[in-house]
Amino acid sequence: MIRTVTLLSAYVGLEIRRTYRDPGFVVFGLGTPVLMYVLFTSIGRGSQPVDAGWALTSMVGLAAYGALGAGLSAGSAVAEDKSTGWLRLLRLLPLRPGLIVAGRAVTGSLMVLPAVLLVLLTGMLLNGVRLEPWQWPALALMLWAGSLPFVLLGIANGYRLSPSAAGTTNVVVNLVLALFGGLWFPISEFPAVLAAVAAWSPGHLFGSLGWDTVAGGAPAPGTVAGSLGWTLLFGAYAVHSFLRPATKG
Amino acid sequence: MHTTHAAPPAVTLSGVVKEFGAVRAVDGVDLAIGAGERVALLGRNGAGKSTVVDMLLGLNTPTSGTVGLFGGSPREAVDEGRVGAMLQDIRPIPRVTVRELVGFVARTHRRPMPVAEALALAGLTEVARRRADRLSGGQTQRVCFALALVGAPGLLVLDEPTAALDVAARRAFWETMRVLTDRGTTVLFSTHHLEEADLNADRVVVIDRGRIVADDTGERIRRSFGTGLVSFTRPAGTDLPEGLETLPGVVSVEDLGGRIRLRTTDSDETVHALAGLTRVRDLEVATAGLEEAFIGITSGADTVPAPRKADPR
Repeated sequence: MIRTVTLLSAYVGLEIRRTYRDPGFVVFGLGTPVLMYVLFTSIGRGSQPVDAGWALTSMVGLAAYGALGAGLSAGSAVAEDKSTGWLRLLRLLPLRPGLIVAGRAVTGSLMVLPAVLLVLLTGMLLNGVRLEPWQWPALALMLWAGSLPFVLLGIANGYRLSPSAAGTTNVVVNLVLALFGGLWFPISEFPAVLAAVAAWSPGHLFGSLGWDTVAGGAPAPGTVAGSLGWTLLFGAYAVHSFLRPATKG
Repeated sequence: MHTTHAAPPAVTLSGVVKEFGAVRAVDGVDLAIGAGERVALLGRNGAGKSTVVDMLLGLNTPTSGTVGLFGGSPREAVDEGRVGAMLQDIRPIPRVTVRELVGFVARTHRRPMPVAEALALAGLTEVARRRADRLSGGQTQRVCFALALVGAPGLLVLDEPTAALDVAARRAFWETMRVLTDRGTTVLFSTHHLEEADLNADRVVVIDRGRIVADDTGERIRRSFGTGLVSFTRPAGTDLPEGLETLPGVVSVEDLGGRIRLRTTDSDETVHALAGLTRVRDLEVATAGLEEAFIGITSGADTVPAPRKADPR
């Protein structure tokens, strides 16, 4: 047990250094959602104060968007490791394969959390968003935990695809899930048929975990069930991708 | 030879076969390596060396036959941290320093050597704070070496460890290796340089087309196939003299269109005897290129034609 923790922290420590020294992740991965939130809540209102409802809705949506993107990009590093032979080297260390995947997931969640917190902080300080004290940590935890399916999806793509293909796929998936899930603009603005489908998309269910929380209650059972369904599906995809033969030659 | 057979063998391969589709990359290899031995796996590119190494490390499983390390499976030996490996074409992960990378691998082992010692042994002390993904090819190779040895493993497996190194770096590498083997580490390395195998191993296992074709000391392997080349021009209008094949040391005779070339284990004796046999012009004595000597080893082992055919007349 102690040894597992030691190994996990050694691996996660290495991966975290590598991630947070990447200006691409720090500037774009963490910065973009904040920038978009500032734009979305300041454009077109002249000198009027920001609409409190929109400031809150958009804050949750863009925090979810940041979490989604950070979770997915955690998997792009897997593709890189595969192509450099680093995955082969990891297999020659006294580390069980499950520990590598767990380390990846922990790294992913440590990338997600700052993305969430930065947007929430911006909402609180810049747009004066007010919530009950318990709602702030509840919201952060909800979005943190709810990002798991996207970490799994990113890892699955990383194991399955080449580095450039995995990077592109994860960016496209990120944009599609965010836009279609109503994380940028509410799905109530969509045509009715599209909105009905979008309501069950992974991005929207993820956002709903947060919106339900700030509305003052626990997430709706349908939201939780839907999110768990996507987690299982992406988890199965990740396991399947990981178990494909990794050796060459 | 100072092989001890008291301890269980570090490496055992028995009847190992590996097929990739219709291609038989490894075709029935039996090999036992005792603890403390330094063994070179010598073969041309594509001879099956890397496939053997992969199976030895548990990265690949044999189609048939068994692989054992220290009496257990490769995976068990790896989990116990008893194996250090240096594979070909590994690039370190980005944005991490040499020291961080070696430190990480050290932390995965139960009884590693101090990180500073591994860095010093691999000649990386000066670049320890630099990013591991921004080093030259030779330095990268040394990083991989440090990663292999920092766990203080009982067995080091090195797949073409000096491929990216220049002559000076190569010499430094083998000096380091000697420090380790003097501590009793078992070493198996693959190479396609006969000289490297001869100089740095107690035992040379020659592999060709997936089979072991020779297994002996480097000295004897080198001598039995000849590394001296004695060349001369046959006087115009004369036949190839009789008896060249039986001159002392001569291993093979080639006629390259009037230019005769003898491959020999003892150039001095060959030249001496040749003078008594015939008048030769443009005599030239050289050391065979290692690749040439190596072709000499493996071309006779099977029916596939050698690049240059000996002309026996």
